[in-house]
Amino acid sequence: MTLVFNNLRKQYGANVAINDVSTDFAPGLIYGVIGPNGAGKSTLINMTAGSYTVSAGSISLDGRRLDGMKKHQIANSGIARTYQNIRLFDQMTVLENLEVCAYPAEVRNVWREVLWPPYGRARAAARRESAMEILRFFGLEGHADAEAGSLPYGRQRMLEIARALAMNPRVLLLDEPAAGLNHHETAELTAKLAELRSPERIMLVVEHDMDLVMTLCDRIVVMHHGKLLFQGTPAEVQASSDVQLAYLGTDNDIDDIRAAAQDRRAQLGIRARRRS
Amino acid sequence: MSNTSTSPSVKPQASRLVAVLVLAAIVALAAATPFLPNYHIRVVNSLLIYILLGIGLNIVIGYTGLLDLGFVAFYAVGAYTYALLASPQLDLHLPFLLIVGIAAVLGMITGILLGIPVLKLRGDYLAIVTLGFGEIIRIVINNVDWLTGGPKGIARLDKASILGVEIARPVEIYWLLLVTVFLVGLFVWRLERSILGKAWAAIREDQDAARGIGINTTNAKLAAFATSATIGAIAGTIFAASQRFVSPESFTLQESVLIVLMIVIGGIGNILGIVAGAAILILLPEVLREFAEWRILFLGILMVVLIIVRPAGIVPRTFGPEKLIRGLFGK
Ligand SMILES: Nc1ncnc2c1ncn2[C@@H]1O[C@H](COP(=O)(O)OP(=O)(O)OP(=O)(O)O)[C@@H](O)[C@H]1O
Ligand SMILES: [Mg+2]
Repeated sequence: MTLVFNNLRKQYGANVAINDVSTDFAPGLIYGVIGPNGAGKSTLINMTAGSYTVSAGSISLDGRRLDGMKKHQIANSGIARTYQNIRLFDQMTVLENLEVCAYPAEVRNVWREVLWPPYGRARAAARRESAMEILRFFGLEGHADAEAGSLPYGRQRMLEIARALAMNPRVLLLDEPAAGLNHHETAELTAKLAELRSPERIMLVVEHDMDLVMTLCDRIVVMHHGKLLFQGTPAEVQASSDVQLAYLGTDNDIDDIRAAAQDRRAQLGIRARRRS
Repeated sequence: MSNTSTSPSVKPQASRLVAVLVLAAIVALAAATPFLPNYHIRVVNSLLIYILLGIGLNIVIGYTGLLDLGFVAFYAVGAYTYALLASPQLDLHLPFLLIVGIAAVLGMITGILLGIPVLKLRGDYLAIVTLGFGEIIRIVINNVDWLTGGPKGIARLDKASILGVEIARPVEIYWLLLVTVFLVGLFVWRLERSILGKAWAAIREDQDAARGIGINTTNAKLAAFATSATIGAIAGTIFAASQRFVSPESFTLQESVLIVLMIVIGGIGNILGIVAGAAILILLPEVLREFAEWRILFLGILMVVLIIVRPAGIVPRTFGPEKLIRGLFGK
């Protein structure tokens, strides 16, 4: 089972955001997607998840074309995502944010659920239990009945990943999960994400935090100006002078890449604090 | 909400007291109504019809977050279904319950038909287009004289009867409405808490993210339009059976706006809020009847004050029937 990009292209008017990207992703591995601002990382996620249409080329999972499907159909084919700017169901509780993911599987029995209370109670209890299990994994069980929008920023990031996980996805796409998190939260997140690695699951993590990427990811995809610049193991990426050039415009070493990422993280931190 | 469950002693008792008071007031009012003069029973009946309409429209506005200003169309569909199938107009005299069933199906179909073209619209655009639909249905009724009697309406509707029991006097209509409001309220409340209700809430919060978790928003929204319209049509049949007369005047834009106001003032997305909103907007004008021309001004001021003081409505979204029951049994 693999996720395949074939000559993928995305254009906004004259602006080419993704330019002829072909690659594939194998289950069991965590892929880091890195690259400077505007490189096209989010665009890749948005096209895969069906938020944006594909201008040319194709995306397929297990040989099944995803491009052209409706967004909810893509989600139901096993693709789950988080957003660069958190998008939770703010006025629903933390628990409900996860429970609602059962909709595609359970909606066909909704009249039975409404009209036959014992069945309704059983379904509600089952949904609650599987949601609680995921919340416990992310240390959110104490917030189960809080409104999602009222959580602190770092918890909201965790909840968004938890919600994606509640879909029991085969492909998990995370767009800057560590953006705006402090050191402690980032470490916690890295540990959690490492636990999510599973033989059936493809994970793509778009991230500017190089510590996270280098410790967590098995493979790294480097994007630059919409092109796939380099693909390899963390060690190979660190050794590549192309990558350093792309990131900094100079031929410095990986420490400078780190410094640039830290800088950006500080900026995001300010944004996050303003948000909450 | 969450503070009630986390903060220890004080809150549960307070919410229990509120629960007992609210329930006592509702039960007392419901039990006293049959002993009131007919005029007052009619006022309570009109209150119950508006509660029914509010419960229906709230599915679309409160749960799903779609501002629908044409709800009165479905109310009219129900009322005219009864008027045509139980009057000398076509010389048809079908039994009441059968007509309720037919009206429910017709309401559902019109709900879906009017829902399909507006699926892609939200906010102001949706409000304006649905407003147009409401007006179109009223204008059509006004103009197909041969069927609907035009502006004159249809008179001499049959008295309703269920299993041989006649339901025509205000107090009989009252019991019918009370049972209907209870059953519909229970149904909708369970719907709200079902997986479909949660999907509606997700669409309200962020439609695109809702699609992202696999919700077919087209189907979920059509289900909301359909259930809402069905309830509107059922309310319409009872309304027609109680007035025994229908005319287009009863189905103006003003009615739609009144129902939206009930929901907004009472507390959007909450069945108890609708009861509160309807009580204020239907009963208060009656209480203030003596003040004649000052009445509208007074209501206007009250509304402005309420919207400033409680922008989310009188009853918070979280204080639903569940809270009442929990409060009562101290769970
Ligand atoms: N909705 C859009 N409309 C027009 N242009 C867009 C849109 N989204 C992205 N772009 C453009 O596409 C290019 C790639 O953007 P993208 O968001 O994918 O970058 P990114 O790698 O995620 O950057 P960042 O690290 O800042 O998140 C940029 O030039 C951006 O301006
Ligand atoms: Mg991005």
